[in-house]
Formats: sequence, structure tokens, C-alpha cells
Amino acid sequence: MGKNNTKGSAKSAAQKPITKKPTAQKEARRGFLFPMLPIPLVVFLLVWLWAAWWQGDVFRMVRENSFFAFDNTLMNYELQHSYGYLWAIGRCLLTTFRYPVVGGFLLALLLTSCCWMLGYTMRLRPAWRWVEWLPLGVYVGVFTYQGLNNWFEAESGQAMGIPFAAFVVLSIWTIIIRSFSRHPKVGKHPLSPCRANEGVSRRQNAVQALFVVLMLAVPMGWASCARPYVRPLASMQVDVMNQNWNGVIKTAQDNAELSYRPMAAQYIIALVQTGQQCEKLFEMRLDYDSLYITGMNGDHQNATNIYLMECDYHAGLVQAAYHHAMENMAMVGPTIRNLKMLCKTALLRSEWALAEKYLYILDQVPFEGDFVTRYRAMLNNPEAVNADPEVAMVRLTEPIHDNFENNFVQPVFLGYTAALVEGRSINALWNSLMVNIYTKTMPEFIFRSQAIQGTTPPKSIAEALCLMANKQPELANAFNGLEMHRGRLGAFIRECGDMLKSSESRAQHARELFPKYKGYYPYYYFFGNLKATRKSSDKKESSNSGVN
Amino acid sequence: MKKIYAFIITLIVLVGCGKKAELPAQYTDAETQACIFPDYRDVVVPPNIAPLNFQLKDSLAEEAVAELKGEKGETLLVASGDELIMQMDTTAWRKLLQENKGGKIEVTVYAKHGDKWMRYLPHTLTVAEDEIDGFLSYRLIEPGYELYRQLGLYQRNLTNWDVHTIYENNREYSDSNNHCINCHNFQNYQTERMLFHVRAKHGGTVIVENGKAHKVQVKDEKILSAGVYPSWHPKHPWVAFSTNKTGQAFHLYHDERIEVIDEGSDLLFYDVDKNEVKHILCTDDHLETFPNWNPTGDRLYYCDAYVPSIVHVADSMRASAILTKYDSMFYNLMSVSFDEKTRSFGEPEVVVNAAAMRKSITVPRVSPDGRYLLFTMGDYGQFHIWHKSSDLWVKDLQADSCYALTDANSPDVDSYHTWSSNGRWIVFSSRRMDGNYTRPHIAYFDKQGQAHKAFCLPQQDPRHNIMLLKSYNVPELTKDAVRISARDLKDCIYNTEGEKSKYINNPSALRTPTREADTVTGASPKK
Repeated sequence: MGKNNTKGSAKSAAQKPITKKPTAQKEARRGFLFPMLPIPLVVFLLVWLWAAWWQGDVFRMVRENSFFAFDNTLMNYELQHSYGYLWAIGRCLLTTFRYPVVGGFLLALLLTSCCWMLGYTMRLRPAWRWVEWLPLGVYVGVFTYQGLNNWFEAESGQAMGIPFAAFVVLSIWTIIIRSFSRHPKVGKHPLSPCRANEGVSRRQNAVQALFVVLMLAVPMGWASCARPYVRPLASMQVDVMNQNWNGVIKTAQDNAELSYRPMAAQYIIALVQTGQQCEKLFEMRLDYDSLYITGMNGDHQNATNIYLMECDYHAGLVQAAYHHAMENMAMVGPTIRNLKMLCKTALLRSEWALAEKYLYILDQVPFEGDFVTRYRAMLNNPEAVNADPEVAMVRLTEPIHDNFENNFVQPVFLGYTAALVEGRSINALWNSLMVNIYTKTMPEFIFRSQAIQGTTPPKSIAEALCLMANKQPELANAFNGLEMHRGRLGAFIRECGDMLKSSESRAQHARELFPKYKGYYPYYYFFGNLKATRKSSDKKESSNSGVN
Repeated sequence: MKKIYAFIITLIVLVGCGKKAELPAQYTDAETQACIFPDYRDVVVPPNIAPLNFQLKDSLAEEAVAELKGEKGETLLVASGDELIMQMDTTAWRKLLQENKGGKIEVTVYAKHGDKWMRYLPHTLTVAEDEIDGFLSYRLIEPGYELYRQLGLYQRNLTNWDVHTIYENNREYSDSNNHCINCHNFQNYQTERMLFHVRAKHGGTVIVENGKAHKVQVKDEKILSAGVYPSWHPKHPWVAFSTNKTGQAFHLYHDERIEVIDEGSDLLFYDVDKNEVKHILCTDDHLETFPNWNPTGDRLYYCDAYVPSIVHVADSMRASAILTKYDSMFYNLMSVSFDEKTRSFGEPEVVVNAAAMRKSITVPRVSPDGRYLLFTMGDYGQFHIWHKSSDLWVKDLQADSCYALTDANSPDVDSYHTWSSNGRWIVFSSRRMDGNYTRPHIAYFDKQGQAHKAFCLPQQDPRHNIMLLKSYNVPELTKDAVRISARDLKDCIYNTEGEKSKYINNPSALRTPTREADTVTGASPKK
């Protein structure tokens, strides 16, 4: 080896006079414009940023749909899977994403180390050093491609388990090579990242940097086009968990052009919690483009389970929420999200021992202390439960009488609310009226609106009544303030009347009109959620129901 | 190097020895008994049961000591571990029980609050003379609704902590392998003959005889569904099954979560050797379910709801029709005589007319001596494991009296019960712990026909009852362990289709309606 090195040195020394030597000035300028970057550090920082900031909420949701505890009984479901122990370790590491900065740091450390050790074990020459960052690109690419599949009926342990497994394998491989290899090429790639630029030319350094940036930027750019809903949805779900309703509404309105059912569901939850459902529901496009999501059986899904139990809960259907949380748990094992819902619903039903059980289990999950402390204070204390602002809103729409889920159109939070005959509060009536106008079941809407005759209805309901008054003029005088909406309705019909002639024409113009008529109910009635409109009219012929 | 060895040995000794239990020299007396989890206070225990490890529920206590003092002098001291868990040495516990068989053990708990000790009022464990059967089989499943994923049949050795897996379904989701298992049942408290059902993929009834399994399809177009709730004939390889068409409905605002509705039920007689099946009872206006043989095998008990009003309701509307009056579905306790020579059944007889009390009875189980008929009575319906009103009752068949087992019952669900082979113990599923997850509870049934306070199946770590997110389902006691391996059962389930049983027409199974009021509508039958 020594001999070879000496030969190599001699060769390069011999070549030196031939090489064009840049002047010191040129070199300094080039150094200023293209400094030699400490690539491992750059990679680490970029991945940290990517995981903690760009995908922080996504990783947080993967964590919430995961579960880890240092207890065999609790982990039994997971450990019985193939590679169960590996995924359990992955889930353990994933718990750090309770704080994405911490989780991101750990992930960046794992991925950067893996790549660096891969380069070392493959003895990559400086010119090929960019190759060692390929696994990073694969990880970022796959994670981005998977989108919602990262936290929908997925093995959450993979997100950190695979990097961890790679880290262990490469560490062992590195130790073996470092300890035993006599291969002459060892040493071309330093083991210490501090010596990353030894023997690397400025150009090679730039190629590596560019390659790394591209590997992160390309998936990010692709995701903005092909998976635009993933990050906003994760952000909204995190905000719903944190009861940051204004955050949910802001994200929804910032992404109002995106139309995906799970996003709409989070938005509606926030509106219901803040009492703005009658004002702002239609400020988001509600046409529901298709999502990339597959269930555990590999079939395409409509992502209902991403929002079903939360929607049930916030619609006041606490038992239905428990039902769906339990079904989720049966299918994918315990998850933090399911357990939290099971706990909250048990508290609302004054099932103290049951709530205590779930709290005890959640207490075994790293970093869940805040939740446990908050809700443990409510045990055996119905006043404390009812004083919780979120619970107080849920209580307003709880049913008065029992019924069976089976008797309603599914999903039940829509079916039940649409068919409400007796409510606990005015909020229950608002919700019911809004579901009626959302599902465009106008006869039911008009029937239910009798309860508020003689009052000034909220914005969307007034707009719907004003629209219906065209066919039933008596409605105009039955409510206060409808005349305020007549002018705009007239203008809307004048502008859009020609577009209403065919469903094709409506579909064509829906997108271009949305920015102008965002939040305006007649626009939604004629141009929004056309699938529901079609479904509704199709079904009316046979069953007279049309909840989408 | 020596230092390292010394350190390792010290560590092993420290870890191995744990805390040494010592009674405090000074303490103050509390006026109450210690609150312990599970509640093992003042219960009667079998002399062969595993240690009743418990957790002291005292938020102020930092440590605790328990003194178990036998009437005959033997004493066992236990120091608390993590989270005030009291785990007893199995050998010392067994010795304590054996020495105090037929006597009492006084348990005194001391708790340390700050630097002061407090002594709670003692509670007692009464050690019965009669042992409980050594093995308890059960299914573990989420107390869920319609969906299932990982579930399995297990057998626990009640004298220690051993759990044997009888069979587990596929651990990972697989469209081609997903299956459910249920209704395991043994003949005469022995595992020589047993069966359970497999539903969905690889479906069929798995019958195990002398350690060998085979699969059959107890199906026919004249049968409502496959065989469901089974009961082995005590002497012969015959099984009485119910065949049911059931559905579930989910409450939206109710103390109960689920209502399982019975849209149609009949009774079947299945001959294992001949693989032949025939109807015992096949009626449109009666819902017959939960068959159970008496120990001599000459009488079959079952539950029956009389519902002529649903006879003419279309199948698709039947569930809705029943749901409108679900809380007026009442099942009576019935029986039919059986002649094993002719294999024929007599006329149905009412054993307990629950409908007349506006109550409903399910899961009859006759005691091994044939004297007591144990059943669950609730306010309505047939799936009492989801009814908080359900309690254990017995009918003394000699004295013709019927009474609730008040001491064993709880305000929550108490259902699905089994006798021990000596008739002195009953094991049943109860949701009393948290209202949702069933745990097996064991109660002593004395010679006077009274059940004593029930206690939860002991676990090595009592927190297992909290940590386990599954329910114990269908507890069944046996004297011996299941002999067939899970691998052989898997081989049978995955690799055999199961021969379809031959249906034998039995005209006498078609009964005329009895003269009772319709339990759904309350209407009297036309004469």
C-alpha cells in the first residue's frame, strides 16, 4: 500500500508542471464565489431543516398514528409482525417527533451518518463521492412519494426503523473495515467527516453539494404538484390536536384552492369549534380531488379514517367516535391518536376507570406527559370535563335521544346531523342546516329552517334561503335580512346564468369563478361539489337521499 | 479484573434479591381496608390458584409491605416493588395456601407515607378445600365492533403464570388469509375433544379429537348459517349447535355501546363421526339459541324468543324491524328431552319464563352434578356481554327456585360463564374493572348453591389488566392442557377445505308456535 501511494504521489508530482496553475488572485476569487463546503455538515443541516421544518408536521402525524411503550403487553401487536422488533425501535425513535426539531435532528444524524459510512465502506474516490448521498435521495423521495401513506394504515416504525437498521449495519461494516481491511484503497474516503474535503477538488465539492440540494429540492418540488395536500393536511391535523382552531382555519384559507376531503374535514371541525360554520364553510373549495392513498390491503382508499372519528367527536357523536377509534385500534393496533380519542370519549361519558386506563397507557408513551396531566385532572370530575372549551362545544351538539348509527346515511356525522329532528342547542341546528345546504338537500333545509323563522339567519344560511326564495317567494318574508343578499344573488345569476345550462359548463367554469365567489353559497350550490350534486340527483330518483 | 467480577456479582445479587420485606416497628392504624387492584379483599380462593399479586392504590404511599398470615401460623411478607406492586413468591404462596386449606389467611397492608407507616384494616382470603380446574381457555380480542385483526385462542395454567397459545390467526393483514376464530368448546372439561370455528378465509369448524384436527363445513342451504354456539354431548361425539343470523347496531347516545340483533336462530344436531347434521328446532317464529347439554346428556337447554311478528317481514327489513323494538326482545330458558338411542328430541318445555318478567335469559350452563342451571339474565336481548344489566342467576333444578348470584355479580356486565368440573367454581367474563374490557372472574360456588365474591384472574403483574387492550372472551375451564400444537391447527386450517356435512331432514324439527305473547310486539298469537 505504501508502495502504491508513493507511486501515486510521484505520478501526481510529475504531472504538476503540466497542470495549468491558477493565479493566487483567481483562486481567491473562486474560493470566495465557490467556497469548499463541509458537505456532511451541509447535508446534516439540510436534512434537519427538511425533517423538522418542511416535513415536521408530517412526521408528527406519523408519530401520532404510531405507538411505542416500554412494555411487552402494549407492544404485543407490533412485535408479532415481521421485523416487529426493528419497527418497534423505529417507533421508539419516532416518538422524538413530538418535537420535530428533536426528531429531525435525530433523523438527520442517522441519514447523514449512514450516507457517510456508505461512502467510507464503498471506498469512494472523490470524483464519485456524490454517490454516497444517493440513499438520502431515496429516503426523501420515497417518503415524499408515499405522502399520506406514511401515516394511514402504515407501519410507522419504518420511517425511523429503516435508517436505524442501515445505521447499525453500516456501523458494523465500518468497524470491520477500519479494523481488518488491508485494501490499498482504504483511506481514499476519510472516516472522519472533519476531513471530508481532503483530496476533494472544488468542482467535486460543488458537484456533491449540487447533488444533495437536488435530491431534496426535486422531491419537494414534485410534492408541491403531485401531493400538495400532504403538508397542509398534516399541519391542520396537528393544529386540531393542539386545539389551535385559528391555525386550522388559516391553513385552510391559505390553501383554499386545494380541495381534498380530509382537509375540508379539519377545516369544518375548526369552524364548528369556533362557531363560524355558517359564515366560512364555503370559503374553501369543496370539490374533492382524488388523493394518493392506499390502505393496508393495497387498495385505493378515500381516506375516511383520517378524519372520521374526529368528525364524529366534534359533531357531538361521542359514541360513534369511540366506535371508530376502537375499530381503528383493532385494525392497526394502538396508536397515540386512537388512544387519545378513546380517552376523551371515555371522559365525556364519565367512564372514569376506562379513561384512567387509557391515560395510564398514554403515560407509558414518551413525551405524552402534557396530555396525561391535562386529562388526568378531569378524572372523577364531570365539572372539570365540561369546563374544557373543546368538550363544551362537543356537548352542545350531543344527541338528546338514542338512536343507532345504522339508521343513518354514512358517514354518520353527516347523516345524523342532516336528519336531526331535535337538538340540544342552536349550534346543533346550525350544523344541521349547514349539512343540508352542503349536501344540497334543500327540501330538508327549508323544513328545518322553519325553526328560525322571524330571525336574521347567519350568512350562508341567509344566502341559501335567498336562493330558495326564487322558487318559494314566501321564504323572502319569513326571515329578516334576506333582502341584503338579493342584490348579490341577482348579479351572480346575471354573470353566471349562461354557465348553468349544462353540468359540463358548470364544471368548466367552477375553478375560474371560485376566487371571485369564494364563500358564497349560490356559487357552491351551482358550481361546487358537483359530484355530490350528481350523486344527489341520481339518488333522489330512487331513495331521495344525497349525502356525499 | 477481580473488581469487575465483584461489581457484576454485587449487581446480580442486588437485582436478584430485590427489597427485603420487613414489618414496620411503628405505625398508626387506618380505619379502612387498603384499596388494592384488583380487588382481592375478602374472597374465597382455590388452594391451587396462582399468587394473587396486587397493587396498592394509595397515591400518598411511597412504599408498602403486606403481611399474609395463615390461621395455621405460616406467614408471608411481601414488599412493594415498582408502583406499589406486591408480587409474591410462588413457592411460598403455594405453601401458604396448602397449609391453610379450608382456613383463612389474614392480609394486612402497611403503607409508608413520608417517614411514617400506616396499617390498614386487614382483609381475609378464605382458602377453599376444593381445587379449581388447572386450565382456562379463552379468546383475546378487542372489545370492538365489526372489525378484527389479531386475535387468538390461549390457555392459561391457573396454578402459575404459563400461557399457552392454542391458535392465533394471521398476525399480518393478508386478504387471502384474514380469518376470525371463535366459539371454542370442550367436551366434559377435557381437551380430548374440542372444537372452534374459523370464519372468513379458511372458514369452517375445526374439530380436534385425540390430538388430531380436521375441518368440516357444517352448512346447508336449509341451514341459516354455519354452526355457531356449540355444546358437546357429554358422552358421544355429538354437538348441538345454534345456527344464527345476527347483526350489530351501534348506539349513538346510550349507556350501552352495541346491540347484537338476532334476525333468525335455529338449533342443530351434529354427528362428528358421520359428519351429518340435522335440525333440532327450525322455526320461523322462534329464535332458538345457546344450546347446552345436561351432564347426563338426556336434555338440552337453550334460549328462545317468540317473535311471530317478524315471520312475514322481508329478510332485508328484518334487522330494522327488530331494531325498532330491540329492548323488547325477551328470551326464555327452554329445554327439550333427548333420547340418545333414537337420537330424537322431545317437545320444548319452558324452564324459566323470563319474558313474563320482561327479562331475557342467555347462555344456560348446567352444573356438573346436574342440580344447578347457571345462566345470564338481563333486561332484554340475547348478547348480554354488551348489556350492563346482565347478571348471573341460577335455577336450582331440584328445589325449582331461581335466584341471582348477588355476591358474585357487579353493576356492570357479568356474563359468559363456565363451571369447574367439580362444580365448586364458576368463571365468567365481567366488565366490572373498567366497563369495557372483559376480564375473567372466578367465584366460589358453595354447597348451599350460593356464589361468593368473585375475583379477577391473577396476573404476575396486576398492571397487565390495564395494559392489555383486548378482552378475554368465552372462558372455558378444562382439567388438562390442550394437546394439539398451534402449528398442527394452522396446517389443518390453511391446508384443508373441510368436508361439507350431510344434511339429514328432520320433519319433527318444525314446531308449531307456542301460545305466548310476541316478545317484540307484545301481541298474542292467533288461535
